[in-house]
Amino acid sequence: MITGTRKPMEEILSMIVPYKRILVAGCGTCVAECASGGEKEVALLASQLRMHAKLKNISLEVGEITLDRQCVYEFIDQLTPFLEKYDAVLSLACGAGVQAVAEVFPQWVILPGLDTAFLGETKQAGLWVENCRGCGACRLHMFAGICPITRCAKKLFNGPCGGSQAGRCEVSPEVACAWYLIFQRLESQGRLECLEEIYPPCDWSRQQGIGPRRIQREDQRA
Amino acid sequence: MSRTSHLQEVLEGAHFAVTAECGPPKGADPQTLREKAQALKGYVDAVNVTDNQTAVVRLCSLASCAILKQMGLDPVLQMTTRDRNRIALQSDLLGASALGIGNVLCLSGDHVSFGSEPQALGVFDLDSVQLLYTARLMRDQGKFLGGGVLSDPPRLFLGAVENPFADPLSFRAKRLAKKVAAGAQFIQTQCVYNLERFEEWMKQVQDLGLQEKTHILAGVTPLKSARMARYMKERVAGMDLPDPLVQRMERTPAPKQREEGLRIALETIEALKNIPGVRGIHIMAIEWEEVVPVLVEKSGLLPRPLT
Amino acid sequence: MEPHQRLQVAVFFCQQLDPQQDLHSRELEHKWGSSVLFFPMHCSGRVEALHLLKSLEEGADRVLVLTCPEGRCRYREGSLRARKRLEYARSLLEEIGLEPSRLELRAPPAQSPRHIARILEPILEEPWEHGPCALKSGGAEGRNS
Repeated sequence: MITGTRKPMEEILSMIVPYKRILVAGCGTCVAECASGGEKEVALLASQLRMHAKLKNISLEVGEITLDRQCVYEFIDQLTPFLEKYDAVLSLACGAGVQAVAEVFPQWVILPGLDTAFLGETKQAGLWVENCRGCGACRLHMFAGICPITRCAKKLFNGPCGGSQAGRCEVSPEVACAWYLIFQRLESQGRLECLEEIYPPCDWSRQQGIGPRRIQREDQRA
Repeated sequence: MSRTSHLQEVLEGAHFAVTAECGPPKGADPQTLREKAQALKGYVDAVNVTDNQTAVVRLCSLASCAILKQMGLDPVLQMTTRDRNRIALQSDLLGASALGIGNVLCLSGDHVSFGSEPQALGVFDLDSVQLLYTARLMRDQGKFLGGGVLSDPPRLFLGAVENPFADPLSFRAKRLAKKVAAGAQFIQTQCVYNLERFEEWMKQVQDLGLQEKTHILAGVTPLKSARMARYMKERVAGMDLPDPLVQRMERTPAPKQREEGLRIALETIEALKNIPGVRGIHIMAIEWEEVVPVLVEKSGLLPRPLT
Repeated sequence: MEPHQRLQVAVFFCQQLDPQQDLHSRELEHKWGSSVLFFPMHCSGRVEALHLLKSLEEGADRVLVLTCPEGRCRYREGSLRARKRLEYARSLLEEIGLEPSRLELRAPPAQSPRHIARILEPILEEPWEHGPCALKSGGAEGRNS
């Protein structure tokens, strides 16, 4: 999923200063999964904003809504009835959602309530870890399902480097050495010969793109 | 094939080689660099210049090597893949050759988070193995990585580093094999304190027949103090300092610690000279470059060959 | 009744603390009027930060979470979870300038009587550092704007 964390309160408060009626809008997909922008988080933030306004004697109306997704027009459209009722939307969606909403309602002020972080998995309840960088050239089958671009701090394709110690990356003892993990898993699968090959340089153009990347499927279009 | 550098001549002439490291300044005046390099003249076969080591910005290795070349030394250009993409790397390889710099050491480089610019983007367009491959492609086939043809191929003697003490241990010799297959003609290892473990690694290296295909120079770093020994043991990734060694330094009274450190280094060099497959030593005496001539002389490694 | 007991208190408590909590809590509500509101839970671990914030938003001056005595949670980790969520709720209060200690978690001692009033009264009789919540007066109580 796409993960994110709620912005620091000072930032949020300073963003909403000009507005008297705010709609806090959550998303029921990725950000709900990582407990930063779902229905519960919308309710919590709205409660905080109301209480803060009361404490500061500020007049502020705070509405709450959570869409299934904020990155698909059919769901974003559900915000239409609220256009006249709120001056700004404080979106708790990821950056993709915030921008998609802003595109559908270009005259409405859409504020980002989250700092979008990374593509990752829920490792355990309450722990989300990055595991994909969207390189567009997936070679996970060569690395026993462990991505060296994401999980090796130096994006090595022919690792490990000399800083790997006791299975840990040189950058921090809390970070596992991805190459150590790849080595271990290939060893357990009896496929160590995969590491004898010299992996050629990555085609970074597939990640970099020429402008923002796009995917177009004629068979899927209306 | 004609030899590209003095270091290549020494190694291919089956002489025991000595190289040392020089750190450039954190400023634009190369005077300190010149002084350090001058002190090494006649005592080493080649001088490595580090490339923004530990991700700390310093006078670049390429310019430093050009200065050393002017002084009549044989420089080793250390090139990391952390700071430059393949366009800049290939360009700098051409630049090195154009300046008569014959030796290039290919490394990945320390992570940006260790250095003076932790907010910088770590490039890592290529890794060290891919850089070796690229340099050899340019030299031997006159081609760029992107497929274009060079007007004149560079003349380079290619090297790489390996750390016999990093994990996973059982893979370290195989990784060396990869670097050799990619084009590494000489190897400089991480500094050796644990001779037993180094010998084990050398044995694995020999089992793969690598000592025939590449020239291995063992790293040596003299300990300046017990505190340095303790620090390196506990805080520096990829170091193996056995407890008895650290304790030996710690049992020595402070004013005598440098002397003891030198003694240990000399013992290490003596042992390394006698390990089959070790073709030389690489002395990394950071901020203690003046000790290199002492070490070389007392190890009986003077005069340097082919001078 | 002590002056502080005229404050509005919301009590989230684990039903395991008192098998007759329904009866006993109604008795207390009669005695104290609406100054104490009871929210029984199957397990204190079910309490959420939102419950705690909403209580303050809706007029409570003080929120108490009563867990089972330490180590006695029927569902094993419920009381630990309650503690973590309370800490989180406190951090959310701090962000907006409300006193985090208006939210409190108490684990009654193991030998406590299984009677909600007898567990609660001693707690409410202790002196408490805060007065009415500033939300009610809409500003100033002891806070610099």
